[in-house]
Amino acid sequence: MSFKLCVSHLKVGRAPQLIARYYPDAFLPCRSLGRSLHTVNSIHILTRLSKSSYSWSPSHSPLSRNMVTNSQPRTPLNAKSRSPPYASRQSLYAARNRNMLMYSSAVIIFAVGVTYAAVPLYRMFCAATGFAGTPNVGTGRFEPGRLVPVDGARRIKVHFNADRAEALPWAFTPQQKFVTVLPGETSLAFYKAKNESKKDIIGIATYNVTPDRIAPYFSKVECFCFEEQKLLAGEEVDMPLLFFIDKDILDDPACRGIDDVVLSYTFFRARRNAQGHLEPDASDKDVQQSLGFGDYEMAPRAEIRNAQSGKS
Amino acid sequence: MSFGRPPSINVGFKTSPPDRGSFPLDHDGECKEQMMEYMACLRKNSSESTPCRIMSKQYLDCRMTKGLMERDEWRNLGLANLEGDSAKPTRTSS
Repeated sequence: MSFKLCVSHLKVGRAPQLIARYYPDAFLPCRSLGRSLHTVNSIHILTRLSKSSYSWSPSHSPLSRNMVTNSQPRTPLNAKSRSPPYASRQSLYAARNRNMLMYSSAVIIFAVGVTYAAVPLYRMFCAATGFAGTPNVGTGRFEPGRLVPVDGARRIKVHFNADRAEALPWAFTPQQKFVTVLPGETSLAFYKAKNESKKDIIGIATYNVTPDRIAPYFSKVECFCFEEQKLLAGEEVDMPLLFFIDKDILDDPACRGIDDVVLSYTFFRARRNAQGHLEPDASDKDVQQSLGFGDYEMAPRAEIRNAQSGKS
Repeated sequence: MSFGRPPSINVGFKTSPPDRGSFPLDHDGECKEQMMEYMACLRKNSSESTPCRIMSKQYLDCRMTKGLMERDEWRNLGLANLEGDSAKPTRTSS
């Protein structure tokens, strides 16, 4: 019986004829393909068959449910009059597809917009939080509010000292022996460097402040340290330095007795290390000494440690 | 210091870098006059910094004009509202 129904499918010439061929047993598998043409077709066929007094027991197949629920007017199956369920289902799918299209295109456009907006947003985030090493200029210690001198506070005498490495044929001297400053007051100081050799030399400077207690409070706005300074042969140049002593030093009990501070600069010849960065061309010990860490025991550098472990 | 060293205990003691980096070198001595004025003022005032702040302001102004320093507001450099400021016209944005 069901085979005949499937055959009638074939007769009708609908698409699911292939499926009907492989699943001759009723329309159960046909129907199980869900909201498909098969079901719709089967209903048409069933209505047609029932019309032609083909005995069909409703209990035989779950299709009866369909028959009951989708009570359709008995229309002849020809191309002209497509019955509404078929059309509406297709339009339903069409509507769903349109929705899906809208949603996906909205998501795509949103994602593209976010990637465009990410660049300035990331910059703002970095500037605000200093993430990934973004330098914070003019914030924290260097806020404009902190750069105001504290009138009436005791003056601190800042002495200037200049050193140079043996390998560097420069004459490096401070232009003033000392300056007395108020806490919070930005002051200018000058050093003079003269390249006495016949070649252009790149130098790099490190600095150190004594006593150690004052190091957190001694801040430089701009100077000439840690970056390469190239002097042409025989050239003499003035190097300025803008610094201040933070006014919090007045609140620190450990710094109560500090009246003299020594600021010491050491110039080294610059060389490029394995990573291509400029660094002082001197032994680690000498560099650490110039930074005031001469009394501290330093662990060997990673490159040396790895080289030694490789050898042993 | 090994430049670019990964952080360790000692890094906590390290000297901090300057806020604005390094001054470009004044190879041509374009602001030497202002520098000499400042040094003369220091010598006169027994190396006290407060009376000579005007000169330092002029020196930095010269650097900014000659392109040896990024132009910035004076209050960001701590040189705003100096006495004797109104006497000298400065072309700054403070």
